[in-house]
Amino acid sequence: MGIGELDREAHVPEGRPSGTAGSPRTLAEALRARGDDGLAALLRARPDLLGPVPNDVTQLATRAGTRASVVRALERLDRFSLQVAETLAVAPDPAPYPVLLGLLGGGDPEAPEAARSPEVAEALPRAVALLREQALVWGEDDRLRLVRTARELLSPSPQHPSPTGLGPTVAEATAGMSPGRLQEIVAAAGLPSTHDPVSAVAALTALFTDRERMAALLDTAPPEALSVLDRLVWGPPYGEVTAKPTPPVGWLRDRGLLLPVSPRTMVLPREVALHLRGGRAHRTPEPHAPRLEVAREYRPEAVDGAAAGQAYAALATVEELLKSWDHGGPAVLRAGGLSVRDLKRTATALDVPEPVAAFWLELAYGAGLLASDGEADERYAPTPAYDDWLDRPPAERWARLVTAWLTATRTPGLVGGQDAKGRTLSALGPDLDRAAAPEVRHRVLGLLATLPPGAAADPETLLGRLRWERPTRGASSAPRAGGPPAPAAGPADGTDPGAAGPWASETRTAAAPRPAAPRPPAELRERLARWALGDAELLGVTGRGALSTHARALLNLPLAKAAEPSAEGGGVEPEVAAERAAELLEPLLPRAVDHVLLQADLTAVAPGPLLRPLADALAVLADVESKGGATVYRFTPGSVRRALDTGRSASDLHAFLAAHARTPVPQPLAYLIDDVARKHGHLRIGAASAYVRCDDDALLGEIMADRRSAVLRLRRLAPTVLAAQTDPASLLEGLRSMGYAPAAESAGGDVLITRTDTHRTPPRTAPAPVPDGPPAPDATLLTAAVRAIRAGDRAATAVRKEPAVPVTAGGLPRTSAAETLATVQAAAMTGSAVWIGYVNAEGAASQRVIAPVRVEGGFVTGYDHTADEVRTYPLHRITGVAELADDDA
Amino acid sequence: MSCLIVQSDKTLLLEVDHELAEACRRAIAPFAELERAPEHIHTYRVTPLGLWNARAAGHDAEQVVDALVEYSRYPVPHALLVDIAETMDRYGRLTLSKHPAHGLVLTTTDRPVLEEILRSKRVQPLVGARLDPDTVVVHPSERGQIKQTLLKLGWPAEDLAGYVDGEAHPIDLAEDGWSLRAYQRQAVEGFWHGGSGVVVLPCGAGKTLVGAGAMAKAKATTLILVTNTVSARQWKNELVKRTSLTEDEIGEYSGTKKEIRPVTIATYQVLTTRRKGVYPHLELFDSRDWGLIVYDEVHLLPAPVFKFTADLQARRRLGLTATLVREDGKEADVFSLIGPKRFDAPWKEIEAQGYIAPADCVEVRVNLTESERLAYATAEAEEKYRFCATTATKRRVTEALVRKFAGQQILVIGQYIDQLDELGAHLDAPVIKGETSNKERERLFDAFRNGEINVLVVSKVANFSIDLPEATVAIQVSGTFGSRQEEAQRLGRVLRPKADGHQAHFYSVVARDTIDQDFAAHRQRFLAEQGYAYRILDADELLGS
Repeated sequence: MGIGELDREAHVPEGRPSGTAGSPRTLAEALRARGDDGLAALLRARPDLLGPVPNDVTQLATRAGTRASVVRALERLDRFSLQVAETLAVAPDPAPYPVLLGLLGGGDPEAPEAARSPEVAEALPRAVALLREQALVWGEDDRLRLVRTARELLSPSPQHPSPTGLGPTVAEATAGMSPGRLQEIVAAAGLPSTHDPVSAVAALTALFTDRERMAALLDTAPPEALSVLDRLVWGPPYGEVTAKPTPPVGWLRDRGLLLPVSPRTMVLPREVALHLRGGRAHRTPEPHAPRLEVAREYRPEAVDGAAAGQAYAALATVEELLKSWDHGGPAVLRAGGLSVRDLKRTATALDVPEPVAAFWLELAYGAGLLASDGEADERYAPTPAYDDWLDRPPAERWARLVTAWLTATRTPGLVGGQDAKGRTLSALGPDLDRAAAPEVRHRVLGLLATLPPGAAADPETLLGRLRWERPTRGASSAPRAGGPPAPAAGPADGTDPGAAGPWASETRTAAAPRPAAPRPPAELRERLARWALGDAELLGVTGRGALSTHARALLNLPLAKAAEPSAEGGGVEPEVAAERAAELLEPLLPRAVDHVLLQADLTAVAPGPLLRPLADALAVLADVESKGGATVYRFTPGSVRRALDTGRSASDLHAFLAAHARTPVPQPLAYLIDDVARKHGHLRIGAASAYVRCDDDALLGEIMADRRSAVLRLRRLAPTVLAAQTDPASLLEGLRSMGYAPAAESAGGDVLITRTDTHRTPPRTAPAPVPDGPPAPDATLLTAAVRAIRAGDRAATAVRKEPAVPVTAGGLPRTSAAETLATVQAAAMTGSAVWIGYVNAEGAASQRVIAPVRVEGGFVTGYDHTADEVRTYPLHRITGVAELADDDA
Repeated sequence: MSCLIVQSDKTLLLEVDHELAEACRRAIAPFAELERAPEHIHTYRVTPLGLWNARAAGHDAEQVVDALVEYSRYPVPHALLVDIAETMDRYGRLTLSKHPAHGLVLTTTDRPVLEEILRSKRVQPLVGARLDPDTVVVHPSERGQIKQTLLKLGWPAEDLAGYVDGEAHPIDLAEDGWSLRAYQRQAVEGFWHGGSGVVVLPCGAGKTLVGAGAMAKAKATTLILVTNTVSARQWKNELVKRTSLTEDEIGEYSGTKKEIRPVTIATYQVLTTRRKGVYPHLELFDSRDWGLIVYDEVHLLPAPVFKFTADLQARRRLGLTATLVREDGKEADVFSLIGPKRFDAPWKEIEAQGYIAPADCVEVRVNLTESERLAYATAEAEEKYRFCATTATKRRVTEALVRKFAGQQILVIGQYIDQLDELGAHLDAPVIKGETSNKERERLFDAFRNGEINVLVVSKVANFSIDLPEATVAIQVSGTFGSRQEEAQRLGRVLRPKADGHQAHFYSVVARDTIDQDFAAHRQRFLAEQGYAYRILDADELLGS
């Protein structure tokens, strides 16, 4: 039916020119009647309709009516618009505007004054306009129609209860009911009997929708029955009943106030529920977005200061992280990402909790400062972009990090959780992308920007606002008062209205032209929002919970005024915005200093961030002890040695300290440097392949002076020792060729006597023989074997002597292999049965009577009379075969 | 540009030469522990204990945050401020107080906290019935235990249960010709106001007088716990001299004497003596209705005394110490059982007021002879320190130093008896060591004080609480493996105010390129962190001159 209906919506009826005045008869007609702006608005709001560009309006309308597209559009509605759509789905089709307004509690003239909400009346036109713009609703105000697909999606069914909590109409609920039963209900409700079911339903509907008569009917209800209705009225409308319903349920059932959907389930018809609700489809229509509450207001300067402090800390952290990986970071897991242990290690190194460490890692990764090196033995390492980044001024570095963060879809908050298959999600690993992240992030910051500068938002109201803007279908139903309904009297909670399930599964099964992105569950959006708040604080985008001035500039948002989500179109290029933000941030960051303070406890304190060359040099000369606004360095013998190892001399170090210290160099520090320098390089280590030693230094001098010794690459280590870079043999050869008579020396210093013409391996054990067969048998074994063979032979001969004699009971028949084969082949041909002796794989012997069918490949297959089935036996396991004595066996 | 830099590891760097430094120091001192005080930049550390100390002293998180934000040169990371506020907020959620019907009760202002701690297995045996959702009975005998346990759980309880007055006894300060110094009076006031707690003063700053002042406030029988007998005698002398107490009113409870008088001075050692698995001298705590218990050198308080102290929570307790740093890390027990810090003043500040002598600290590096180097290289690991610490060159250096300061009062301090005996023989000076009788010790100390003896060689028995007012030179030839508090004690030996304003000298003789030097580096770091700049000399320079 879906296609036919769609067609009716999409196609222009023949013979009726389009664009004529009057009410449009189809969605296509309605769309065609729109101006170009209207169509553009539709396409902007639902960009999926553009792929590919529809051929004409009819096609556009058809596509706008597809399930996938409608689901997407519904998902992007704010709560009130969705409520309006939901209301239309339970309203008569088409519904005039006043009816819609009444259902939303906004001004049904008959409704009691208290139930009327001027806010709804005020907000409704906007919502209807929005739905119309998005082609979810069409038709003039007197005939508002919800697109059929949307109606199907939103109207209540037992599987997918509506957020309105309303059940089916009387007509729908009585569809399968017997006319007799219907007449009984009509009679019990106090109505005259009718001719046919249709008029009975109409009568019943009329009764339920007539305010006065209905009130009168309910007045006669027993109080327990009313309390049953009370439980069902705001949904879910379904309730379980026992086979023998309680009297109040029975009373309601008899009058059609509860209608059966299955033997065990009753439903409250929509008309009854609406009567009980005073005509309202939603318990609490939420025409306006909840206000964003200010949690606390700070001076904007304090906020900017705190944010700048955090921004600076963020830079320092990223730098520290990557610096520690300067010489190769941890290995990349085979599946991608960082191992849990490496994450833990990183967290310890940065002195932050693991989730925060994951955030910094992902931030650096997202900003392109960190990547896998792609080697065979894959490791993480800083990228060349990191070096470039390091050279930028701090404010610019910050801007680059934050720009990367704003658009990143990777969500470090997921790290440590598990994916659908139960695998742990690792930092820098796969499956961390969440498409909704940037949008949620922008919206969170955008909402913060609506507050005056310096005001920190209450996170709960912020999340509430986000929930209103993007509700999920299940969650948008009005909160039920008084806890979950008690199932005692029958009504039970059908489906959990909080579950976001139905749409996701429907979307997947729907035959969509383009697979719709799986909708992030509300829970994910909320987590994303929370993460965005936390990340923003860590990055110094916000300070003490309030948006900082530099972040406003970066977000391209008006500095103080309220902003709408469409602020992206603010006209300023992102690069320009980043530049502006950096400019604003720059004066707030600590200034680089060019000096340190040296103290007698062998520490140096840099009272601010150091100029980079100075910081690098000092980091070699001393160990960093504490970081923050300032840096505390400690000089240790080890650190001084490290500096000396890089080629600095003690006097270089003294000069360096004197040049950069604001204070005199303390005596213990100077002493420490000299003391370490005194010992530094005292012992010298080098590599040599061979040495020459001789007690006569004159002889060594002679060798050194000889030009022919150049190839031996000799170096004089001491008056009596030369070191050579050639191996001992060549050295011996070389010196001999020069006319000397050197002798080789062992490691212990003894002279090695070598014979020239022999080349020997080091001591080796002879290879143990690996014989092919089993080891040669010894005498005992042989004797035993011979005896056994003889015995077997004797037995065989004994059998052969009387081959025709059937084997006596208990003994196995024994024949030679050739004989066995011939006998079973003969039996297979004649189809006769034979008696075989058989030894199974475990060595157990048995006798069987078989009728061979086939003999091939060393196996005989036959009907086994003993086991009463067809079996296959390997021939080599058959000890012997005997023909049966008589054929009548 | 302000003077304070807040580091991410919760240390605070204070630039002392800055004009705002003094005001800033005052603002942060209540909650931050001074960790290092070298010449230019002092390092304070913000710890949970420090923050709770501040809470106990009546400061709130807002004040702490304001102080940081006001004086910080750079923006303070928000996370740190939040952390501070949260930590401080933990103190006082639980309160111990008296209940007219149930004795001691633990009440909370935050029910989930009470639920949380009551779920702990360690708390369960200490509490009784739940009176109402916010109140639970605590067994009065577990008052100390529960405070310790709650601190470990991170919810320190405020103890408002008050104190017993104890047996009254008239005690007054006899301020004839002298009076308490301003900081001593502040310390006494701070303690008395807080009820119980610890006063931190450097060696030589007159801690005994703070004790006396507290006794004069309490006017009740007092139990004083000190480290050893010599120290006990000195307390007695000082109390007789400075207060209205007479000698008969003060008893000594030590290995030799077992007197219990209105004011009783007992040694840690006698209290912790164990016979057949019991502490026979514990009855001392119950022998009188003490109104005040004074713990001298709290940082040395032996673990069993903590256990006894846990049972004494109804009595006022005063801890006296030069440093809250304990080598065993039991600072938290001091906090929960004796009480929060009530007063402290850095060494340098009191020195600047002229109450302790400025000291010149010098490390002399001696070279081992070649044969000693070989012996050192081949020595067993546990013998190594002895080998290098007792090198013969040290003797020569010590002799040279004694010659250099001839005529002044010189203490030679060491660890190894052989070495000390040898030094004593060479220097012709008496040696005080463990086996020296108390009588002989006092005789020698008296002679040293009177100037009859100029040079005294002492082993580590001299480390604690003996008063040698006229020692102007201390020469340390070997120590206990770089113990920081030992260094403080030794420095204390020479830091007492000098009658003639002589400069004090503190020499450490150290063998170069050995673990002796490593240990010395550790100790020296402590000195430098206390603000005592030191120099390093080569032995040759000294011997040559």
